[in-house]
Amino acid sequence: MKKWVASATLLIFLMLPFLAFAGVPLDTVKTNVNSVLEVLRDPKLKGEAGKKVKEQRIMAAAEKLFDFVELSKRTLGLNWNKFTPEQRREFVELYKTILKDAYVDKITAYTNEQVNFTKEVPLSENMVEVQSSVVTKSAETPIYYRVIKKDSEWKVFDVVIEGVSLISNYRTQFREILGNNPPATLLDTLRKKVGKR
Amino acid sequence: MSRQGPTRYRESISFAGLTVCLVFLLSLSLGLSPAHGAATATDPGITTGEGFPKAEKPADETSLAPVTVQEKPSDEYGDVTEETATSGEGSTIADPIEPWNRAMYHFNDKFYFWLLKPTAQGYKYVIPETFRIIFSNFYENIMMPVRFVNNLLQGKPDYAGRELVRFVINSTVGVAGFRDVAKDGFEITGRKADFGQTLGKYGIGSGFYIVWPILGPSSPRDSVGWVGDLFLKPTSYVSSELISPEGVGLYAHEKVNYFSFHIGDYETLKKAAIDPYIAMRDAYVQYRKKLLEQ
Repeated sequence: MKKWVASATLLIFLMLPFLAFAGVPLDTVKTNVNSVLEVLRDPKLKGEAGKKVKEQRIMAAAEKLFDFVELSKRTLGLNWNKFTPEQRREFVELYKTILKDAYVDKITAYTNEQVNFTKEVPLSENMVEVQSSVVTKSAETPIYYRVIKKDSEWKVFDVVIEGVSLISNYRTQFREILGNNPPATLLDTLRKKVGKR
Repeated sequence: MSRQGPTRYRESISFAGLTVCLVFLLSLSLGLSPAHGAATATDPGITTGEGFPKAEKPADETSLAPVTVQEKPSDEYGDVTEETATSGEGSTIADPIEPWNRAMYHFNDKFYFWLLKPTAQGYKYVIPETFRIIFSNFYENIMMPVRFVNNLLQGKPDYAGRELVRFVINSTVGVAGFRDVAKDGFEITGRKADFGQTLGKYGIGSGFYIVWPILGPSSPRDSVGWVGDLFLKPTSYVSSELISPEGVGLYAHEKVNYFSFHIGDYETLKKAAIDPYIAMRDAYVQYRKKLLEQ
């Protein structure tokens, strides 16, 4: 029994550095997501005026949470290299706006969903998947954030909801356009999408 | 069948059920359950995109390609490397009948906005949330045979056992499946399993993409699976015929009840998408692939 306790203690101590390392990505995502939740639950932010403030704060948190350039690169894949530097910048901005327009409304509609952060799964040396689940009264939805370490900061570059990766989903759509069109056509399509909302 | 038949059965089973339940709880705590996951079947019908060797499939999640550290950190808009570009490459599905599928997609789109959504909204307005949750749990509970049989067919008897335990607990303590006591109280969760998935595990490819009117995205394999599962759904036996007005009515109620919790989800997908048809197809492929890998 004593031996068992001793070896267990040793094991725990051996794992400590690993645990300490492992905690950072999860905490980063958790902190940012929680700050969004706080904004959503703020009773002072009601009505149309409140909604505007909410949106701004959510976007501020999103900028901290996501690496939109990395997200764009991984969405386009090798097609990214066909874009000129100016086109790349424009693409990142348009893509960000599309995501914002689609999801901020959805997020501001959330009220009493409970978000649990469950675990981290290392994907590679500098990439980790932070797993969470959103619990409502009727269902539980797994949401996984894929984060990459850049300049000692952890940033999200993909969100996987129920097994569906955000960047893969867009990649398939963009590839359809880039298959027989130049990058300018894709940018044009995105500009129209952003403009017409 | 006499009306009190099932009730009497339930009363007589409750003690036996509790014993079974205890045995399973013991086996769970002894760690018998996580003896799975090794057999990860790849889906031959879903072809992996370029640059992602198929042999690596089982390690898919973890091998998201080690990204080379960027030499020039300041140049964040620089070129992507081959490795970054092809990491986490998604899957695609053949779509030889795209014109038909697109037509059906548009039909389903109208069906949603003109009929399903208003119905679900009215239903949501009239029926209190508590009751809708009860219905949702009830339908989930009675579909146990589908998950039980398919977990067995997929060589996951531990999960089949869990489904059985869940059914016993929820049908008794949870009052005919009105509450998910097994999850809320005992933290016993089940595993989604359907016949399309079973066929996939047996190495049958999904074939190609097909959109059915009303039923939505599918493939020949998953369509066969859907019909197969129909035989295991208790709701199919409300009448002597497999497809009856009563059965369809129950199916419709189940769906309306489900959508009453999901109004706006499809709208978000559509709003976020550049081409909603492709977005939907890709989501379907990714979702099914994930279920197969579990």
